[in-house]
Amino acid sequence: MSEMWINMGPQHPMTHGLWNLRVHVDGEMVLDVDPEMGYLHRGIEKISEDRHYNEVVTLMDRCCYVAGLAWEHLYILSAEQALGIRPPERAEWIRVMSEEFQRLGSHLMWYAAFVQDIGLMAPFLYGMRDRDLVLDLFQSYTGARMTYEYMRVGGVRNDLPNGFTDQSRKVCDWLIDRFEEYDRLCLASAIFHKRCDGLGKMSRADCVAYGVTGPMLRSAGSKRDLRKDRPYSAYDRVEFDVATADGADVTARYLVRMEEMRQSVRIIRQALDWLDKNPGPVMAARVPRWLGAPYAPIGNEGYLLKRNYPKGLGLSAIEEPHGEAQAYIVNDGGEHPYRVKFRSPVFANISAAKKYLVGYRIADIPPIMGSVDVCVGECDR
Amino acid sequence: MEAEFPALVSARLGDRVAAVEVFPGTLGRVRFRAEAALDVFRSMRDDFAFDHLSMVGGIDWVDHREVFYVLWSDARRAYVILSTDLPAENPHIESATPTWPGANWHERETWEMVDIHFDHHPDLRHLLMPDGYVFHPLLRSFKLHEPEELEVKTRNV
Amino acid sequence: MNASSVTTASGTAKAPGTELPVVTQPGVPFIEIETLRAKEFLPAAKEALSAMIAERGREDLTQPVFNWAGRNSLFPLHWGLACCAIEFAAAFGARWDAERFGIVPRSSPRQCDLMIVNGTVTWKVAHKLIALYEQMPEPKWVIAMGNCATGGGPFRTAYSVVPGVDKLVPVDLYIAGCPPRPEAMLDGILKLEELIRERKE
Repeated sequence: MSEMWINMGPQHPMTHGLWNLRVHVDGEMVLDVDPEMGYLHRGIEKISEDRHYNEVVTLMDRCCYVAGLAWEHLYILSAEQALGIRPPERAEWIRVMSEEFQRLGSHLMWYAAFVQDIGLMAPFLYGMRDRDLVLDLFQSYTGARMTYEYMRVGGVRNDLPNGFTDQSRKVCDWLIDRFEEYDRLCLASAIFHKRCDGLGKMSRADCVAYGVTGPMLRSAGSKRDLRKDRPYSAYDRVEFDVATADGADVTARYLVRMEEMRQSVRIIRQALDWLDKNPGPVMAARVPRWLGAPYAPIGNEGYLLKRNYPKGLGLSAIEEPHGEAQAYIVNDGGEHPYRVKFRSPVFANISAAKKYLVGYRIADIPPIMGSVDVCVGECDR
Repeated sequence: MEAEFPALVSARLGDRVAAVEVFPGTLGRVRFRAEAALDVFRSMRDDFAFDHLSMVGGIDWVDHREVFYVLWSDARRAYVILSTDLPAENPHIESATPTWPGANWHERETWEMVDIHFDHHPDLRHLLMPDGYVFHPLLRSFKLHEPEELEVKTRNV
Repeated sequence: MNASSVTTASGTAKAPGTELPVVTQPGVPFIEIETLRAKEFLPAAKEALSAMIAERGREDLTQPVFNWAGRNSLFPLHWGLACCAIEFAAAFGARWDAERFGIVPRSSPRQCDLMIVNGTVTWKVAHKLIALYEQMPEPKWVIAMGNCATGGGPFRTAYSVVPGVDKLVPVDLYIAGCPPRPEAMLDGILKLEELIRERKE
């Protein structure tokens, strides 16, 4: 009988980032865990108070670096509510398409990292290869692979390039076939089932009490998906099914994410069809110019201070690839947001670590934490 | 359901709630009295079925502080915002962790960043900043570095 | 006479499967050559090497060999700080395949000779980063990947961010970009190999 606390992290192959899981073990059994976060706390909420509304978008890409466009979408929705600006419809559809592509990119990154955690090395190469196809699409219309700075208050920065929708359809067709291949690589493997089945159980009631959302909650049988329950942007105009599973374990989370990717492709195809038929502006007409210009032109400093927008509050909530993300923005009438507060789904999911790690063995921790899909950037902000 | 929600809240909670403001996209912004926090939390969870706490946050309005909670109800499929004002000197409020266990880390972060003390919190210690960090960065009195100031510092290193 | 003709010749002569085709080159006396080499070449080479060492010193001769071996098998520390870590991982994916340059990420700092600081360094992680750096065996190199590691990047003014990892450990190479593309990272590593080639202890 030897009980002790051990550190897994901050530099550990399990962590996928920079955080420390302190584990109280008795031999191999996990008795207690205490996640220690904050190694990547960059003060994004504080820096946002020093930036113009559109400049905060830059920080959002770095906030969650595997789902940058989803976080831009989250922030922009909240800022538009606080400022009282409505984007044109085409911009909303582009945002929906971007968010779903981002979900594909994030889940493919998760697949690459998670399957490597449980000892299957080849799927890492498959996941990264297909993720690069999605990033190529992002590059074609935002100009960057990971940090896009694409969305603006009142719309998006630029329209899609010529031929984008055709290329996207090709990528969608390619990916749909690859998902079958992924399932064959994983679900047909006895190693996968031995390392994943029945691990990291967390019941639906526990998930709700601890604020756990996203694929973890849906793998426990819940159908909560903010895209359905509280549609934002153009999500009330697309058809898709909410992916759920009943196992509440690591395998169930794998199944949910795989099904979500298929549904994302379904949404993207509808969005592409709409975008093909409906050209139009992607930026609202009456957006104050200073929102787009971070600094006043020389000799015209005065117009930076002129603004007629009333004070307001904004609360947005989106179904980010990891779960329910929220942004709460206080607009006090100044040129910077007075307070920006973000709710990160990973933050809540890790805070419940005691519930799904205690009672298993040390060797089970990497697959369980892999199935949580940790993105430290958005957790620590 | 949205229209009658303010009346229901007023009827159930009486003078523990000061007002229910309109907030687009949610059922409303419930301004409650800080002394009655525990009653409001329990009533929201048990009577109004807000079983999921999304986030807790604090705002420093220089002359006072505000703490807000965003709740979600699966049954109602809607958000509600609870909000209350606290004095700037020694701001403290009852912890929501016994009601919603998920509030634990949110309250730790709020205490760390905005210096709002949560009574009866099981484990109120630093989360994002290292232990022993004495500042509360999201207070308005806490200033960011100036870039020029950093230049001078790094040149001397 | 090439190998395929030998195989077909023996294959047609005998029934298939009864005897494996063997490629023989009876004209080349391998064993005699090896004996000669061991008897005459090796002592001569040893003598010449001793003379060179006596003339120029051991370090001058061994250092290029070590440099050559080291620069062709840089083992970076496998860790991810922030966004650049994702591009770091993408460089090991199918499209860029960083392992063709002999770059293999290792999880233990004891097995590494290269630390790629791929992301924002906060004050909370600073002493952990120094501890990891001190655990790496000599000779070791540090690459600051991306703007955050170089100078704080967009978070330079924040209260929790180290404005540049060169305040903590000596940096050999800076890669610009936010984040740098995988080919930029590979280019940086190849540049570091150039530096190692020129290295004199």
